[in-house]
Amino acid sequence: MKEKYGIVPGLFWIGLSIYAMIGSYPLGLGDFRDPGAGLMPFLIGALLFLTSLPLVLKSIVAVKKRISEKAESGKINFTKIVSVAVSLFLYCFFLQKLGYLAATTLLLLFLFKTASSRKWRFVIIASVLTSVVSYLGFTFLGLRFPRGILGI
Amino acid sequence: MSVFGGLLSGFQIVLQPANFLYCFIGVFIGTLIGVLPGIGPIGAMSILLPTTFGVSPVSAIIMLAGIYYGAMYGGSTTSILVNIPGESASVVTCLDGYQMARNGRAGPALGISALGSFIGGTFSIVALMFLANPLANVALKFGPPEYFSLMCLCLTILIYLAKGSVLKAIVMGLFGLLLSTVGLDLTTGKPRFAYGSATLYDGIGMVPLVMGLFGISEVFTNLEGPLERVIFKSKLKNLFPNLDDWKRSAGPITRGSILGFLLGILPGGGAITSSFVSYTVEKKVSKHPEEFGKGAIEGVAGPETANNAAAGGAFVPLLVLGIPPNAVMAVLLGALIIQGVAPGPTLINDHPDIFWGVIASMYVGNIMLLALNLPLIGMWVKVLKVPYGILMPLILLFCLIGSYSLGNNIYDVVIMVIFGIVGYILNKFEYEVAPLVLAFILGPIMETAFRRSLIMSDGAFSIFWTRPISAASLIIAALLFASTGLALYRKTKPMITE
Repeated sequence: MKEKYGIVPGLFWIGLSIYAMIGSYPLGLGDFRDPGAGLMPFLIGALLFLTSLPLVLKSIVAVKKRISEKAESGKINFTKIVSVAVSLFLYCFFLQKLGYLAATTLLLLFLFKTASSRKWRFVIIASVLTSVVSYLGFTFLGLRFPRGILGI
Repeated sequence: MSVFGGLLSGFQIVLQPANFLYCFIGVFIGTLIGVLPGIGPIGAMSILLPTTFGVSPVSAIIMLAGIYYGAMYGGSTTSILVNIPGESASVVTCLDGYQMARNGRAGPALGISALGSFIGGTFSIVALMFLANPLANVALKFGPPEYFSLMCLCLTILIYLAKGSVLKAIVMGLFGLLLSTVGLDLTTGKPRFAYGSATLYDGIGMVPLVMGLFGISEVFTNLEGPLERVIFKSKLKNLFPNLDDWKRSAGPITRGSILGFLLGILPGGGAITSSFVSYTVEKKVSKHPEEFGKGAIEGVAGPETANNAAAGGAFVPLLVLGIPPNAVMAVLLGALIIQGVAPGPTLINDHPDIFWGVIASMYVGNIMLLALNLPLIGMWVKVLKVPYGILMPLILLFCLIGSYSLGNNIYDVVIMVIFGIVGYILNKFEYEVAPLVLAFILGPIMETAFRRSLIMSDGAFSIFWTRPISAASLIIAALLFASTGLALYRKTKPMITE
């Protein structure tokens, strides 16, 4: 990742550390004789803040010195990654509603098609077969899947 | 119980049909995921963890341990034949293993790798067996300050050995500790950062977190590039190394066994470090260092022996002290805790079945692995040809089912996907996730030890440096931090002054 974006995680860590410190304060820090529930997250937040500062400074210096001009080697197919991530979230959302078999078959149809350039016939057979076999296998192992609108 | 009595009872446990089967499943899956680039032992262990909930603790640990050391065997196959390490401990094997394959010596490379792995693995089990009892007796004297300091040292070494920026590794460790505080506080019962969510009241689950960071994020990373790979076409013949090969490999295998075991015990060390150190040592002591990188058998024998010996060595701190020296062992610790078993110095006496069962299973598992990796090597080569485009949906499906099966809770799956994205982004910004996982799993134990120490000392921090073991651990940790800080200062000074 280009150095000019390196400041982003640094700032995120600083934000997170401040959030942890503020969030842990109401939990009660106690004292060292009787540490409260908030003491540990507060101390971790403080240490995270102290560690993130040099990271941000380093990124600022690096950007100023333009040592970051090295181009990324090869383009990354972010569309594929984002679409797979979104499909996983959609699966979580629809699993209860559609039930395991329907939701899993739909997800696998998408994943097989995205990951390989195979024909639809292969994709459909592989998706249905994997869903059914995994359903039977894991049900045999005692796992209970959501039934959804189809009742299976 | 004497060592031999214990070992005998261990064999009685592992040779029971169910345990024998779990041992086989473990080493088989270990070899499989070792062979398949794109998923490592941590990912596989966390995916399969939920399937062990219904079985006895000893069967569960036998299987999970088998996955770990099995992956060390399998990882070399892809390094030698495809020049892609199946898992990170086999990176160094690519250097000479692939060159041997190119020179038409893929067979001896695979052979010496499997045989060296067997010797290294067996050596480490014998050493573990004899070291465990004396170490456990010493560890019985440990109190909360010693445990806290040792865990600090463990995290420090892991951070010190981080591949990239040490600052980033520290941030990862702290992030892991922070995540471990989510949920009910064990001492006061107050919810922390749970926001009224029933799922978060129990804290972030170890399995969804690890599966996300290692399983899902690896899939995302693999989606970046082409999903097909080219296998080097080389006829697999004469798997058994010849006399000259043995002569050249005897030294590296001996050194690799000892070095690997010792480095495996050290917190933060493990299979990856030991294979690199072994390669460096072999190159230094060799009479023909110029052959390294061009297909020297020593460059395969040493590292492959060392990474298997380290896999065995890593069990010492886990089983004896209850402190995992690396992220893989941290997952095993999590598995033991889920099963209601607390590893530590009392494990040998309280749960001899687990301790000796695991040790005996490693003997049996190593023999199984030898059979799986020598006569059946052709089968693994065929597995290598399965396109990643077919494997990827299956890996994702296993992750989804594994995470859901923890408690039939869809939010566990959501957490896993979120951590998959987090892991991918962290990877893009060159943050290593191993310190995060170790800190996340050690977090609750560290916090309890820290708070108990302060209560014991009436709030005085001096308790950490007035007790010898605790003080020694903290001094070593401080020295490591100081040396890192100094190196960092030297590196950044010219940049700042300019």
